[in-house]
Amino acid sequence: MTEVVIDVRGLTTRFGQQVVHDQLDLQIHRGELVALIGGSGTGKSVLVREIIGLHRPTAGDVQVLGTSMWGAPDAELARVRRRIGMMFQEGALFSSLTVAQNIATVLDENLQLSPGLRDALVQLRLSLAGLPAEAAHKMPSALSGGMKKRAALARAIALEPEILFLDEPTSGLDPITARAFDALLTFLNRDLGITVLLVTHDLDTLLGIARRVVVLGQGQVIADGDIAQITAVAHPWIQSYFSARKLISSHGT
Amino acid sequence: MLRVTLEGAWLLAALPVAEPGLAQLISQAMARGMIVQGRPSLRVQIDGQALQALDTAGALAVLRLIGQSVQIVELTLVGMQDHHARVLTLVQQRLPQLEEAIHAHALGWRARLGASALGLWHMLKGHLAFFGRVAEAAWRTAREPRTLRTRELVTQLGSTGVTAIPVVALVTFLIGVVFAYLLGLQAEQYGANIFVVDGVALGMTREFSPLIVATIMAGRSGAAFTAQLGTMRLTEETDAIRTLGLSVEQVLVLPRVLGLMLTLPLLVFIGDLAGLSGALVIATTMLDLTPMGFIERLHSALDPRHYLIGLGKAPFFALFIAVIGCRMGIDVARDTRSIGIHTTSTVVQAIVAVIILDAIFAIVCQKLGW
Repeated sequence: MTEVVIDVRGLTTRFGQQVVHDQLDLQIHRGELVALIGGSGTGKSVLVREIIGLHRPTAGDVQVLGTSMWGAPDAELARVRRRIGMMFQEGALFSSLTVAQNIATVLDENLQLSPGLRDALVQLRLSLAGLPAEAAHKMPSALSGGMKKRAALARAIALEPEILFLDEPTSGLDPITARAFDALLTFLNRDLGITVLLVTHDLDTLLGIARRVVVLGQGQVIADGDIAQITAVAHPWIQSYFSARKLISSHGT
Repeated sequence: MLRVTLEGAWLLAALPVAEPGLAQLISQAMARGMIVQGRPSLRVQIDGQALQALDTAGALAVLRLIGQSVQIVELTLVGMQDHHARVLTLVQQRLPQLEEAIHAHALGWRARLGASALGLWHMLKGHLAFFGRVAEAAWRTAREPRTLRTRELVTQLGSTGVTAIPVVALVTFLIGVVFAYLLGLQAEQYGANIFVVDGVALGMTREFSPLIVATIMAGRSGAAFTAQLGTMRLTEETDAIRTLGLSVEQVLVLPRVLGLMLTLPLLVFIGDLAGLSGALVIATTMLDLTPMGFIERLHSALDPRHYLIGLGKAPFFALFIAVIGCRMGIDVARDTRSIGIHTTSTVVQAIVAVIILDAIFAIVCQKLGW
């Protein structure tokens, strides 16, 4: 088996009386493309935020690329953070910078490249994320929802991260754009070898590109495996989730 | 045909170190005549047998380097792993549009100057159009007084008027103190202490109090209007009002405009009183005047037209402050940053408008002999 890049052990999260994660374990290996699903309130986004070191878990430990995200010194954390990319649900683009500057800033803060190569690299990122050239010099506020997501992805992959986290990347996108997004994620995962962990509700993404699906529920991982394995699990939430899909496809044909 | 052999790991992290060396490589090759000047069109073969790792940034650096010296007619990839070939192919496909995109933008200073001049022009036109809509809403409300949002109006009277009294009174009191003190220093030399009352009374009621109170209200209420309406626009509340068949001007703008037009003269009056009180304190403690003497002199020296002009200017100041504040709020774009920019702009515009109006009033009053 390949190297474990994300290692979550005994993770417990409580908000007041409410227990979100209860002794949760999760391992993700290099090169995997993992989709994280679960009903609302099962702590999918919180789990991602705990893995990348934004939200402190109540108990337990998270190791990313061999570094403990809640125990390592700041300098080591900064080094790990440069090796991971995160795309936030609402994009979280810096609103005072143009799209191109959003990406250029990330490159400039971490690497000394010549302006020519840097600008070409910014454009390459935008082009990879499927943004038209004229979008580069717009402010984020002038972009549509789908374009913002693409710009956010372009920024997340600016430094060629080893692990890419995405929070609901296709929510609010039209189906055509969403499928193009899926194709892009497949390329990043298969050809560039980036490990991808995405939180999603999009069944098409799940069936189309996810090779491993992790289902959260009752504070635990209630199912883990490929689609066939997941659909075989006799959990009421999983069954109703996938039966909705069957309903749609049976109407469609 | 140009043959390029890639070795080792071509990764983004290594590029800052590798880049200067690559440029050198090209110039050396040119010097030795290995590459002909003038970017000849050539077929290019990249051999990746010894390639260990490659990411898109590495591929970009390689292809740009080759592209600087030759025009790639046909690219063949040999000996490399499939995914390396896919990365190189992908980047090569995107390369032409990248170079185009980089050179596509960048406005010169003339274009930027023109753009900001046009922006100012459009903003002023927008203000005028908005003022028209508010006037129309006011006219409709005047004909149908029931449509006036009295509860909103009362709320505005409270938030723009009552709560502003302490700061207005404090500032104008201090201005009265300073003004009387400075006048007193001069008047004392001529034993003309009593004339300080004339100067303070005229200056405070006719100019200082309206101007200072209007400035405070531009910062306080004008900015608040922009922030309030801007937030409502961001959360699509203003759109909801429109889809419910209501008028934003009538529901949100008119109560604010009317409210400020009613409260500003009252606040100016409070400012008059506070300013004169400040002067009274200085006159009695430093200029050997009695309180009774101050008030008697005030009675004879202060012609009613002076403070009536001062009070009369206030509703006009209020109209401009409120209309600018509301319009800038409604004009907020769909992002949070825009609220901050617009709020700042409101305060600047409102203060400038107040000073311009005051100058116009001064000229008109002088021509009329008031």
